[in-house]
Amino acid sequence: MVSLIGDTAFIKGCAAIGAGLAVGLAGIGAGAGESGIGAAAVGAIAEDRGFLGLGLLFTVIPETIVIFGLVISFILMFAYG
Amino acid sequence: MISLTGKHATWAYIVARVKVMKRNLIPSDEYRKLLNMSFDEIIRYLEETAYKKEIDELAYKYSGPRLLDYALTLNLGRTYKKIQDVSFGLAKEIITEFLKRWDIWNLLTIIKGKMVGVSLEEIEESLVPVGSYTMDFWKSLIPKEIDEIIKTFEGTPYYEPLSKIGQVPLSEIDDELYKIYYSRIIAMRPSELALKLFVDFIKMEIDIKNIKTILRLKREDVSVDEIMKRVIPGGFELTTEECGKLAAMPWDELTKSLEGYWFGKGIEIADKDLSRIEIQFDKVWMKTVAKRASNYPISILPVLQYMILKKIEVDNLRILGWGKWNNIPKEEIETQLVIL
Repeated sequence: MVSLIGDTAFIKGCAAIGAGLAVGLAGIGAGAGESGIGAAAVGAIAEDRGFLGLGLLFTVIPETIVIFGLVISFILMFAYG
Repeated sequence: MISLTGKHATWAYIVARVKVMKRNLIPSDEYRKLLNMSFDEIIRYLEETAYKKEIDELAYKYSGPRLLDYALTLNLGRTYKKIQDVSFGLAKEIITEFLKRWDIWNLLTIIKGKMVGVSLEEIEESLVPVGSYTMDFWKSLIPKEIDEIIKTFEGTPYYEPLSKIGQVPLSEIDDELYKIYYSRIIAMRPSELALKLFVDFIKMEIDIKNIKTILRLKREDVSVDEIMKRVIPGGFELTTEECGKLAAMPWDELTKSLEGYWFGKGIEIADKDLSRIEIQFDKVWMKTVAKRASNYPISILPVLQYMILKKIEVDNLRILGWGKWNNIPKEEIETQLVIL
């Protein structure tokens, strides 16, 4: 396989797949986490509008995981892309 | 995996809503203030709480404790209906099953109202619009004769006890109807944790009801057979056999043996008034529910806890209102309140 496409191309390809997985899996994880938090936030906001700010804040907390994924993907792309 | 299927989100939504609703309940220290108020002051106080809408709606028709009574019933019904409407999936099924107890309440309210000749309008005001039948169905029953009402329930489990009306005391029919309600729930074979928590909750409620029945009837020197007829089978710790054992014990032994059950810890029975003892059981029951609800925060338990707390609040306000209206001393009213 390596001999067919060459070392550099193989490494670049693996880095691109890794970058994709880092963002994709982090996105799925954050989505799963947000489903519960988002539902609870919507429930609380439906009863009392005062929870809008707090609800939004808690809902986006799992998004930090996606940022980590994004950082990893940038590192991979800049280092090997 | 649970989060990915969305089950978690269903519970999170309804629990969050109910937790926010719970903040609107009257805090226990407010009852001290309410006890020092006059009846009119209590109504004015309630007009600044969640009961404002119902009091305003009914104030042109009623006054005094009747206004309070109907406003509280209307508010309770609307609160329960709202919880039922905003829930979905298994949560909705469980809440609907739980609220079927109000079918019996509504049915008995109509029958008792007809028996004592209460006006049709007043019967309607006492109905709680939740359960398996619609409000239109209940309204259609109100003008009918008792026999016709009973016939409407032909083919349902309620028909058999209802057909005994006139032959046996109404309290026995009341018991029979609630036994049907409870037996249907405890016969469920819970495959999911949510359902198991619900069935256990109901079984614990049966324990509390049974122990109250046993103590009350023992005080009145009722025979063991008569007590056992009134006991609801399928309790959490108080199974029919356990109830039989307790019912056969002399009073002193009975009160001592209560220590061994989940609801008996810390209960002081001595020679206290029975209603005070019953309030102690209610408090233990609510503490246990609160503990279990905090152990399972994303489940049906916080919802059921709120529903029971709301009922307790409505009952407290009713006692307070009627007590103040009849000039009963505040110390005496306080002993009848369930303040958690």
